[in-house]
Amino acid sequence: MSKIEIKNLHAEYTDKNGLFLALKDVSFSVKEGEFISVIGSSGCGKSTLLGVLQGILTPSSGNAFIDGRPITGPGTDRAAVFQHYSLFPWMTVRKNIAFGLKQVKKNLTRSERYAAAHVFLKKVGLTGFEHKYPFQLSGGMQQRAAIARALAMDTNILLMDEPFGAIGAKNRSNMQELLLTLWEGDGQSRKKTVVFVTHDIDEAIFLSDRIIMLTNSPGQIAAEFDVHFPRPRIHSTIRKTGEYINLRNKLMTLFYDENTGAAAEEEYAI
Amino acid sequence: MKWICKRLLIIPNALFIAFLLIQLLPNKAYRIADNPIYTVALALFLEIVLLAVSFLIKKDRLRHIFTDVLGIIFAFLIFWVLATIKLDLPGNAKQAVFPPPGAVLEKFTLDFGQTLTNIKDSLALIFQGYLIAAAIAIPFGLFLGWNMRIGAAAGYIAKFLSSISPLIYIPYAIVLLPTFRAASVFVIVMASFWPILASTMSGVLNVEKRIIDSAKTLCVGRFTMLFRIILPASLPQIFIGCNQGLSVSFILLVSAEMIGARSGLGYFVNNYANFGNYTTALAGVITIGIVVTVITFLFNLLQRFLLRWKQ
Ligand SMILES: Nc1ncnc2c1ncn2[C@@H]1O[C@H](COP(=O)(O)OP(=O)(O)OP(=O)(O)O)[C@@H](O)[C@H]1O
Ligand SMILES: [Mg+2]
Repeated sequence: MSKIEIKNLHAEYTDKNGLFLALKDVSFSVKEGEFISVIGSSGCGKSTLLGVLQGILTPSSGNAFIDGRPITGPGTDRAAVFQHYSLFPWMTVRKNIAFGLKQVKKNLTRSERYAAAHVFLKKVGLTGFEHKYPFQLSGGMQQRAAIARALAMDTNILLMDEPFGAIGAKNRSNMQELLLTLWEGDGQSRKKTVVFVTHDIDEAIFLSDRIIMLTNSPGQIAAEFDVHFPRPRIHSTIRKTGEYINLRNKLMTLFYDENTGAAAEEEYAI
Repeated sequence: MKWICKRLLIIPNALFIAFLLIQLLPNKAYRIADNPIYTVALALFLEIVLLAVSFLIKKDRLRHIFTDVLGIIFAFLIFWVLATIKLDLPGNAKQAVFPPPGAVLEKFTLDFGQTLTNIKDSLALIFQGYLIAAAIAIPFGLFLGWNMRIGAAAGYIAKFLSSISPLIYIPYAIVLLPTFRAASVFVIVMASFWPILASTMSGVLNVEKRIIDSAKTLCVGRFTMLFRIILPASLPQIFIGCNQGLSVSFILLVSAEMIGARSGLGYFVNNYANFGNYTTALAGVITIGIVVTVITFLFNLLQRFLLRWKQ
């Protein structure tokens, strides 16, 4: 059975111009422990899709299932990292993580939560920033703290919406490697199922087992690609392989294709 | 040397000297009530504070706040002395209504014990009313704002009710409440309740969607959502209402203490003003001003502390 299953999903927004169809007939499934990326141009419905999986948006028709049960709302089996920084500004970094932890593991004591926060902050390289407030951190540091919060919650599913969107190129590849290291873990524990949204093709190839590409709005599935590079992956080695260049070209062609988004993406770039 | 000059050659010091010189001018009219010793003593005391501040406070910004305030006080004293005893202004014939500073300060000093009691009683009244108002208005505002996300309507209702002067409630409060004291507290409660409620509701309605979504995905319970997420997120707005409520409470202090009080700053001012003793009433008004300033200062400290997570 798949961990996540999406069947004929449609999602709509109501605004002053009436109904707006954001997702059209989207179906796919994600296996347990799989890392999949959803890519597509801006406004194609990626965040909408994640919203449905997070349980904060209700689809207008179709269904989304987790472990075979339809999603009816947010759940403690999922942790999210948002496109826009989502730490609570009035809590210190440590408090933010401890707070997230408290919601999923009610039986931990406060000092156990703080200890866990310490461990995960160390993993994302934020030791020494425990007592800072989010506004005192750079965008990348805030996003690392948000990732630490999501990981500390130790949920089966991780939903990430362009978490590195606002981070500079160099920091970004470090963060990607860090994310993979943390996801792969020690090889003992079960891997988390990850749905990772991005509009960066290289990021999608580097991270994923599988890439799902959406068309321009309304988002539909344009294509799916399996990515076979062995793990652990390292940027500098993967990038040079012919397989990488091939896959990248295929994705690029499709990404800039008429149907999937050439015109719109270029307009957007201007 | 240059540094010392820079700290000494400031307008407040010039104003102090001007003040002393003005004392040498002859009194225009025969003013039996004035007692210039008190004015000069106050000015000397303030000058000592000014000098201490100019040399002890290193931070420019903080030092300027103090020196500017003292300068303004000197300017005001000069104006007061000139207007009441040194110049022949039309109002001076009615000295009872325009008492000179020395007389007011003398009353202030002689009544100091009584003044302390008044401050204590008034603060007790205000805090009781204010805390009751905040303790009801904040949770109620959170609840309304959160549950009726159509809260715009509730916002208009709160605006409407807050535009009613709490003075209107006084007769009803006296009739309905068991004691005069309770009626006084009620006036203060009504004065601060609406601004706090309105600002809390608008705070809740303006909480960013991403913060709410973020909390929702953490599956927080209802109580946690309201008090650990919505409350802190709307705190900056809530403080705006709390500030307003505090100001209105002090404005209504005099009215609240008209209801059967036997002490308190508002009672004191009102009582002496009614008997035409403006010298004493003015001493009371100045005391209220000082108390309000100190409370505002402490309140700002609290606000700065609770909102330390904002840039
Ligand atoms: N609250 C809303 N009300 C109305 N329309 C909306 C709303 N949120 C999103 N949309 C529309 O739905 C479409 C999909 O939005 P979504 O946020 O899912 O895009 P996205 O793929 O995440 O884009 P980006 O890469 O820029 O984040 C967009 O065209 C947008 O205009
Ligand atoms: Mg998005």
